Amino acid sequence: MTRILAIEDDEITAREIVAEFTRRGYEVECVADGREGLVRAVSGEFEAVTLDRMLPNVDGLTIVSVMRKAGIDIPVLMISALTDVDERIRGLRAGGDDYMTKPFASEEMSARLEVLLRRARAQPRETMLRVQDLELDLVTREARRGGREIALLPTEFKLLEYLMRNAGEVLTRTMIFEAIWGYHFDPGTNLIDVHLSGLRRKVDAPGLTPLIRTIRGSGYALSATA
Amino acid sequence: MQRLEIWRTTTFRLTLVYGLAFAIGVVAVLGLTYASTAVFMTRQMNQIVVGQARGLQGVPPRALAETFRQLEEQDVRHVYYFGLFRRDGAWIAGNVHRLPPGTPQDGLPRPLREPGFQPGARALAERLPSGEILFVGFDAKVLSGLRAIILSALLLSGALVIVLGLAVGAALSLAPLRRIRAMQQASQPILDGELSARLPTSNKGDEIDLLAGIANGMMDEVERLLWAVKSVGDNVAHDLRTPLTRLRALLYRVREETGPSAAHADMIDQALSETDALLTRFKALQRISEIDRRERRAGFASVRLQALVEQIGELYAPLAEQHGQRLLVEAEDACEILADRDLLFEAFSNLMSNAVKFTPAGGVVRLKLTRRTEGPRLEVIDTGPGVPEAEREAVLERFYRGREAGRAPGCGLGLSIVAAVARLHNFRLELGDAAPGLRVTLDCWAPAMGR
Repeated sequence: MTRILAIEDDEITAREIVAEFTRRGYEVECVADGREGLVRAVSGEFEAVTLDRMLPNVDGLTIVSVMRKAGIDIPVLMISALTDVDERIRGLRAGGDDYMTKPFASEEMSARLEVLLRRARAQPRETMLRVQDLELDLVTREARRGGREIALLPTEFKLLEYLMRNAGEVLTRTMIFEAIWGYHFDPGTNLIDVHLSGLRRKVDAPGLTPLIRTIRGSGYALSATA
Repeated sequence: MQRLEIWRTTTFRLTLVYGLAFAIGVVAVLGLTYASTAVFMTRQMNQIVVGQARGLQGVPPRALAETFRQLEEQDVRHVYYFGLFRRDGAWIAGNVHRLPPGTPQDGLPRPLREPGFQPGARALAERLPSGEILFVGFDAKVLSGLRAIILSALLLSGALVIVLGLAVGAALSLAPLRRIRAMQQASQPILDGELSARLPTSNKGDEIDLLAGIANGMMDEVERLLWAVKSVGDNVAHDLRTPLTRLRALLYRVREETGPSAAHADMIDQALSETDALLTRFKALQRISEIDRRERRAGFASVRLQALVEQIGELYAPLAEQHGQRLLVEAEDACEILADRDLLFEAFSNLMSNAVKFTPAGGVVRLKLTRRTEGPRLEVIDTGPGVPEAEREAVLERFYRGREAGRAPGCGLGLSIVAAVARLHNFRLELGDAAPGLRVTLDCWAPAMGR
């Protein structure tokens, strides 16, 4: 069972994190103190960490940079009440893999962490992505479904690559927007949906088993298995 | 801003009014002097004329011609005039050759208004016992001289008063004018929204200082109130977001645990989406104050707008297509600017989002980047209903939604975010008429500081 360390000093937030991960089948350990959190984070017992930015004794930035210096490269999702862009940059520069601001929706948090976990486990330097009968060649930049070629626009290619790399995971609209366009604001639900439905028309042609699933209230996922 | 000219200052006007009053005084004094002198001199001349006439009355008429000659010889100033006329007015002797017509022969001195005589000349005519008419006149040319003196005095003093008045007025106005201009300059940042700026005061404690003090006091209060309002807004947004997020988490958990086929799944979904809408609003509100709070120019870097605009075009193309609109992107290669790339993208995105939202199917949305000498200009032009001129200021305010926006989804914060981004960059944001439709212009250059 995947073990996750949550370093969070706000009791209610901590409870939410624990509840969400437990529901998704992870084992969660929660620590409220910065120093203790650092000790647990470098213990090698966990596959991922959610890290509050401001903690008693040792702060989040220090924890993540010490972890990185100690050669521990497990995914770290930073969670902070500091919304400023500079704070995000500082968090990522210190070694965080993703940055979320409080308050957050729990499924957004778990979705982000799952993507991080998956990225950490993924085989490096893949040149061909395969999900069921869907293939994406990252070198020739060609997409095929059941052997038939699909013509994709550059944005659609990036979108499909992101979905396929994270097949089976729920990807929220915010995550998709951040991953494909690289900006951190709320562009409105509809804007991302319309890009997805364009891609879906090409990938899930009539008569084929739909691969791109809409997860109500959350986002999208590419079916990993039939 | 209107520039204060020196002749508009109170001091200058006051000096001019003083000058005018002084001039009137000078005119009055000189006029009075002239009038009383004239009265005095007239009396003198009357006496001279009467005395002369009396002396001549004793001379026998036959000897008068000789007396006239003698008198004329003694009269080196040529001020005396004599004439002896027959009953019918024919000349007999004297240096006056024509009896002025209509002269009463009663021996009383009168003004002599004949050609050849100066104003103020006096004369009398009387009938001698022998029947001839004796005419005696006196023209000292004094009054006209006096009048000339007074007139030139008036002209000179008038010119002096005017020149001196203007000079003194200008000199006196200069110092207050300088202070007023300093105030005007100091107030420009306040007008531009920097509420912490204050008007300068001197230690003189005069009326200008008094007014500046009052204005500064009012600014203190405005700033305090504004901060109070702002922080209430920010705090409300922040404080409400946390419980709302928890509410959403609860709803979400209920839905996850009961499954999509549960009895009230639809209602829970609806509640979820309503909560999301609320959260979006608070997030946008917080976002605006975040942008407003940001240190100016921190996080600015060189940005190539062409790429940004093309990216925006690509982002919105499918949405415009879904709405049945034509999206035209024209991006010239404009010069690089110093800006916050992410915020500009967000602002452009909000503009496009509005344009696509309000343009009917079959309409056209144009995203245009043009190179101008001052810098790049971005325009978003749609064929939607537009914004009436009266509402154009208001739609930039938080939560204001135009009448036309009534049924469209959204929270009325998109343009406020754009306005906040423009404020941060010191860019000019303008809403105009594209006849039909709305033209939003964002001039991506900071206008020269100070005017």
